[in-house]
This record gives sequence, structure tokens and C-alpha cells, in this order.
Amino acid sequence: MAGLRPRDRNALLGAADGTARLIFYALVAITLMALDSRGQYVDRIQHAAASVIEPLFLAVDLPLASIRRLTRNMTARQQLLDRVAKLELDLMQTRAEVSRSLDLREENAGLRDLLGATRRTVYRFIPAELASIDLDPFAHRIMVRRGQRDGILIGMPVMDDLGLIGQVDQVLGKLSRVILISDPDHALPVQILPQGERTIAYGSGSLDELRLNDLPMNTRINENDLVVTSGLGGRFPSGLPVGRVHSIERTPGRAFATARVRTLSNMDRNRIVLIIQTPGEPELEPEPTKVADEHSEQTRPPSSEQSPEAGDSP
Amino acid sequence: MKQTRSPALPLSLILALLLSIFPLPDVVAAWRPHWVALILIYWHIESGSLHGLGHAFVLGIVLDLMTGSLLGQHALGLIIINFLVARYRNRIRFFPPWQQALAVGALLFNERIVQLWIIGLLQRGWPDWSWWLPPLIGMLIWPWLFLMLDAIRWRTSR
Repeated sequence: MAGLRPRDRNALLGAADGTARLIFYALVAITLMALDSRGQYVDRIQHAAASVIEPLFLAVDLPLASIRRLTRNMTARQQLLDRVAKLELDLMQTRAEVSRSLDLREENAGLRDLLGATRRTVYRFIPAELASIDLDPFAHRIMVRRGQRDGILIGMPVMDDLGLIGQVDQVLGKLSRVILISDPDHALPVQILPQGERTIAYGSGSLDELRLNDLPMNTRINENDLVVTSGLGGRFPSGLPVGRVHSIERTPGRAFATARVRTLSNMDRNRIVLIIQTPGEPELEPEPTKVADEHSEQTRPPSSEQSPEAGDSP
Repeated sequence: MKQTRSPALPLSLILALLLSIFPLPDVVAAWRPHWVALILIYWHIESGSLHGLGHAFVLGIVLDLMTGSLLGQHALGLIIINFLVARYRNRIRFFPPWQQALAVGALLFNERIVQLWIIGLLQRGWPDWSWWLPPLIGMLIWPWLFLMLDAIRWRTSR
């Protein structure tokens, strides 16, 4: 009975009907794709639909998470003791460095007061575990096990212990999706440090590389220079380490020099990432002060070097 | 009548969706067949359910949302598959299994080309050779998938 239905319909309405329907649906699909890749028109629909689908994500993640917990429970005692000893050593070293940098922070705050510059805001980190879900390999996104319930907002920067990874792109109840800085659609305002040159770093499509596409031909950056976020645009706080310049190309006949940047973060190895809780709405409030701040210290890059240096000293 | 009421259909679809985002080790990840397309083709050919282009569209959108690809990307591929299956269903149904596998392989291959076209439009670069593995794997597992689903369908519909 059910098996005959499509054939009946074909006999009645002819094959042209099928083709018309194909064209209709294909046009809908293509329109959706165009809207999705161009702008934010479908964001709201996407968000609503994604929260409906969230149980599926959780269903995939749950067995794997419990397997991992089980293996963790079964690791040998000696191994754990070794690990604890090593971590304690690390902690001691880090404590020593932090106490030194606290001193620097006080000093910096004092200097800023003297200059009448605004204070740096202190950010909170929310640790988040990666959820085990495979996403489209062509779009560089990851899922993390933190969501709306943990106070995550769209646009919050995400980093690991070494450098910036990306920003929160979509927030669900218990999970959120992070777009990596290496995604071809991602652009990141950066500053290249010893010189203080500002530019935009674009995702390259390969996991550990970014591209600087519009450097002036007479740029003074060198290989191995540190790239940090510039804080322009207001989405990322300034001074987060991003990567190191790997190679610079000056193609004759082109208007701009290009450079490749190796990212500092280690995406292959991480299980835990840190989400930076930016205070309040990320766009509106901090931006004007930040921009003014940047301009006032344009000729004095060392003052914005403080945090990467602290991360760099070991 | 008995086929359409079978709980095997929704269950197999959900399983296919889960398998599409189930994490695999990097070495095997490229070999993951297009589960949703395989299941869709099976139900369409064998029981005539899921024959509408609308079914394919909705499934594709769900898959897009899950994998985080462009909204409509998988949908377009699945619509085209369902359209072609509707056209050649009466022939494919009576093929011997190996020939059916070839036809399914061709359908999956065609879907891959559609995807490649979209990726090309987005200027995301040319994928490497492993891009063409999934249709091949899909073709190889088709006869077994077919037998398994057939067995499950007959058992659950009684």
C-alpha cells in the first residue's frame, strides 16, 4: 500500500511535478546557505533549533564521558602519585612567578594612576571540558561542556594555558560551541609586540596557523615576534597571547605583505579550556575606553606588554 | 501498512544521527560513511516511507545543526539523493545486492560532488583524497546494512 504511493502520484501528476519540487527545495536550501554564510538572519532560528537538538549531543557525549571517568578511576596509584608530585612542583613554581607578577601588577596600577590612564580590568576564568563530539571538519568549531547555566555568553574569548583558542559562538543549556581563531571565517584584531603594529589575523583553515594578509610592505615585524590581541573591537581583552610570527612574505607586485603565524595554543592536546568571563555586555561598555586607551599609549607599547611577558618568562 | 508503523524507522534514524557526530580517532574519522543518507536510501527503496523531498530536507537541516555545517548544506545533498531514488526506485529495488551497492555508491558519490561544489563556493580549499572515502565505505557496507535492516524490519513489524 505505502509502497505504491509515490508511483501513483508520479502516474497522476507526471515527473515534472517531482522536478518542480526538487527545484523548490533546492532553492530553499541554497537560500538558507547564502543567508547563513552572509549574515545573522538565521542565527535566531539556528539557536532555537540547536537547543532542541541538544539532547542528541548529550546522548553522544554521555557514554564517552563516563568511559573516561572510569579509566581515570582505574589509573594506577603510583602513576597518580607521580603526577601529584609533578603538579605540586609546577604549582610551587607558578606561585613564585605569580607573586612576582602581583608585585608588577601593583606597580603597574600605580603607574597607570600616575598617568591618569584607566585601570586594566581583571577577568575571571571558567574552566570548561571539551565534549566529545565530532563536528564538520571544514568549519573549525569545538563543543565545550559549559553553557547558559554556567553564565556563558556569546562572544566570550576562550583560551588554554598557552594562548587564545577562539570565542564562544553559540550557547546551549549545558554545552556551547566555540569557533576557533583558525576558522577561515574568523578575523581577530591583533598587535605584533616589539613594534606594536596592529593588524587583523585571519583563520587559515589549518589548525595551528593564522594569516596576516594586510601588512604594509615596509612592515618592521620579524620572525618569532609575539602576536597578542589588540583589544580593538571590544570583543577580546587586549594582551592575550595568540601566536608567533612564523614567516613573512613580500611578493613583488602585491599591495600588502603577508605573514603566517603559528598559534601558541595546543588544540590537539587539550582536554580543558578556559573561558574568559568578560564583564557584562562585551561590546557596549568597555570598547570606548579601550579604544581611547589604545590611542593614548600608541607610542608606548611596553605598557601593554605586561601580561604576555608574565606568561612568557618561564 | 505494517512497514510504516515499525519503530525501527525512527530508531534507525536517531542512531544514524548519533553515529554522524560520534567521535572517532583521527585515523578512521575520514572513513565515516554518510549514515543518514544510507538509512534514508534504505527506507525509501524498501518501504517507500521517507519518500518526500520534505523528509530529506528536514533530516538534512537536523544534520546541519548537529555538525555545525552551513544550514542547508547537507539538506541539499539529501534532497538530491531522495529525488534520484524516487526516480529510479523501481529499478534499484530489483537489482541484485552487489548492483544495488553500486547504485548506492553512485548516489553517495554524487552527494559528495554537491558538497564539494558548496565548499568550493565558500573558498575553503580543495579537500585531500580522503574526501572520496565515505562513498566507497558506504558502498561496501550497503549489502550488510541492507540485510540487517531487513531482518530488523521484519522482526519488529510482526
